[in-house]
Amino acid sequence: MRLNYMKVQPESLQTLLKLEGYVKKSGLDHSLLELIKIRASQINGCAYCLDMHTKDARAMGETEQRLFMLSAWREAPFYSEEERAALALTEAVTKISDAGVPQPLYEQVRKHFDESQFVNLIMAINAINCWNRMAISTGMVPGDYQPAVQK
Amino acid sequence: MKVRFNHISANPGAMQTMLKLEGFIQTSGLDSRLYELIKLRASQINGCAYCLDMHTRESRKMGETEQRIHLLHAWREAPFYSEKERAVLELTEAVTRISEQGVPQDLYERVRTHIDEAEYVTIIMAINTINAWNRIAISTGMFPETETR
Repeated sequence: MRLNYMKVQPESLQTLLKLEGYVKKSGLDHSLLELIKIRASQINGCAYCLDMHTKDARAMGETEQRLFMLSAWREAPFYSEEERAALALTEAVTKISDAGVPQPLYEQVRKHFDESQFVNLIMAINAINCWNRMAISTGMVPGDYQPAVQK
Repeated sequence: MKVRFNHISANPGAMQTMLKLEGFIQTSGLDSRLYELIKLRASQINGCAYCLDMHTRESRKMGETEQRIHLLHAWREAPFYSEKERAVLELTEAVTRISEQGVPQDLYERVRTHIDEAEYVTIIMAINTINAWNRIAISTGMFPETETR
């Protein structure tokens, strides 16, 4: 690990926790949130976050199969239409410099999420993108994370 | 062009949360002109016209030169950015494009010759914050007003 950001700059952790707290209480389904976090962490290559959120998702009852197939969700039948829309949005927003959020994708997502929920999805994607960048930049090492029994 | 919807009226709580992120940076002691360079470079990479418009205006108001803003895309080849600015711009590019190669160790070491651990974390938070604003603005279809000459 390069440095412990929680120690050298505790305010930064407090600020990220406010963002996380907002997303947690936003009303978005918690297993959907884990899928968003895992897919963004796969794209960004954040090992620490992948370790944390695959463990959290499993502890919440997610199947091994749905997590193993997540990077190929388009070709797998066991994600709901709502999840597929949120995953497509997660990919577009995480890779925002590639193509932004094209209008057909926006319309697909809005069939399942209203305006306020759409903003919450963006905030959820933003939050995990922030954690990914902090963990990678400070060299956090994966492996030891243990999920809380009751999330 | 058409704004998809106004995220502030659709979801005021999200805006309040974003302002907490922004507030952290504002009170962190980070040089405000350096923060503008971070915001401009990230917005250039992410293609956020609304944020570019806002932050070119803000930078100009703070006394930034037109030339330094125009050449920011090509900062490596221009002589008028300080060594610290160059390190921070390189970090901004690496962290914004985090999926490409993360933050290589030699970049981390170069950045740390100019800033301490706490400022390093603050700058990561600054890059995170503008990346978050970029994503909200692009996703909700925000675009800048046409300037009247």
